[in-house]
Amino acid sequence: MSANILNFFIFPGGLFAVFFGLILISIERIMVARFQGRVGPVFYQNVIDIVKLFNKETLIPKDAKDFVFKFAPLFGFSGMLVLVYFLPVPGVYEGAKGDYDLVILIYFMALPAISHILGGGASSSPYAAISVSRELKLMLVYEFVFIVIGFTLAIYVGHGNGEFSLKKIMDYQMQNGYFLFDWKLWPAFIAFLIFVLATLEVPPFEVAHHNHADIMEGYLIEYSGAPLALFEITDALKIVVLSVVFQIFFFPNVIGGDVVVNLLWFIVKTMFLVVFISLAHACLASFRADQEFKFLIKVPVMLSLTSLVLVILSIKGLI
Amino acid sequence: MSIITRSPFLFRINTGSCNGCDVELATTAMIPRYDVERLGCRYTGSPKHADILLVTGPITARSKPYLLEVLDELPRPFVVVAVGTCPTSCGIFRDSYAIEGPLDKYIQVDVNVPGCPPRPQAIIDGVAKALEIWKQKIRDMK
Repeated sequence: MSANILNFFIFPGGLFAVFFGLILISIERIMVARFQGRVGPVFYQNVIDIVKLFNKETLIPKDAKDFVFKFAPLFGFSGMLVLVYFLPVPGVYEGAKGDYDLVILIYFMALPAISHILGGGASSSPYAAISVSRELKLMLVYEFVFIVIGFTLAIYVGHGNGEFSLKKIMDYQMQNGYFLFDWKLWPAFIAFLIFVLATLEVPPFEVAHHNHADIMEGYLIEYSGAPLALFEITDALKIVVLSVVFQIFFFPNVIGGDVVVNLLWFIVKTMFLVVFISLAHACLASFRADQEFKFLIKVPVMLSLTSLVLVILSIKGLI
Repeated sequence: MSIITRSPFLFRINTGSCNGCDVELATTAMIPRYDVERLGCRYTGSPKHADILLVTGPITARSKPYLLEVLDELPRPFVVVAVGTCPTSCGIFRDSYAIEGPLDKYIQVDVNVPGCPPRPQAIIDGVAKALEIWKQKIRDMK
């Protein structure tokens, strides 16, 4: 029992994940700066930001729905916190060992977006309202992509029956080769990368948030102080969760049995994802909202469905 | 406590400026040569996130209510920086019927960065000075 509490609060959930995620976001900022020829902030910049935001005054708008406005950030934050505890980290941590944790993952993955929608909706700002309507539309598409990818893997691992245990998905890859090198799942892999960019809302999918020319800060516009800090921590946890999910789904490689070595290897693999995200951030312009919706509903949905069809055909023995 | 002064969020408002200072501000943050992000700065889209307010323009009658609204929305402690000659003294627009400046009629200005437009180095120096003042204000609040 005490080991569970330790796993939840210290490692790999809780403190470790929060600090690791914040440093990842700072490193992403540094990478973007370096790609643009700038120096960029220090590697612990976002940790300082969080400390500062907790020290600032918290303003609540007069017309806001007070309760929802204050507690909406907690919704996404707690979801991501639970998810970091729940997911197995390849070679480092066993996870909660559920038989249906893929389903739980799909549920919890939507929580940050829902907390954005609740918080933005309660904040009584027209900018937040526009941003919420965009986020809602986009969420419906990219969550669908994520569900199809998860479903594809579940069918592939279970040979026709759904196998919703992340542990078994990892074990299957250990024995039969990683999905990253399986051509049938390459479309799903590309769709997953697009999903990562869309759910983190980095360019080219920056329509609901941080889009200063268009809707200012979007759903965060009325937030300040501690709730804003919670939203930033949620983003940090989300990047960690996405990295873990990426590794479980496509590349659960481990080196030997040593936890420390595997943790370092996990961090190296995470860095590759961060470099990819910052590369997209630095060199792509942002879509308009309608362009993004059309792109998401065409490209990643089609790619993930292609993978699903290929996997079903291979199970039937046709390819 | 001094570490948190390395994370200033900037918000800029144009109160009828000719865009000269705005271009300087945007380039200060963005282009490779003058990088304010190395001071930990980040431009935000909302005054409620901001620690340092950068004001450009001579405060026209049309823009005055928005400026006052922004000043209301800033969470304490904050620092106000007047960028360019216009918010400092209204410059050549002084005594015009359409001008309600200068900025220090409405709020205590902490740093004036004169120039038409000021050089990027001057703006970065102004932001660095504003950080010192911000540190002092945080200390005073404790």
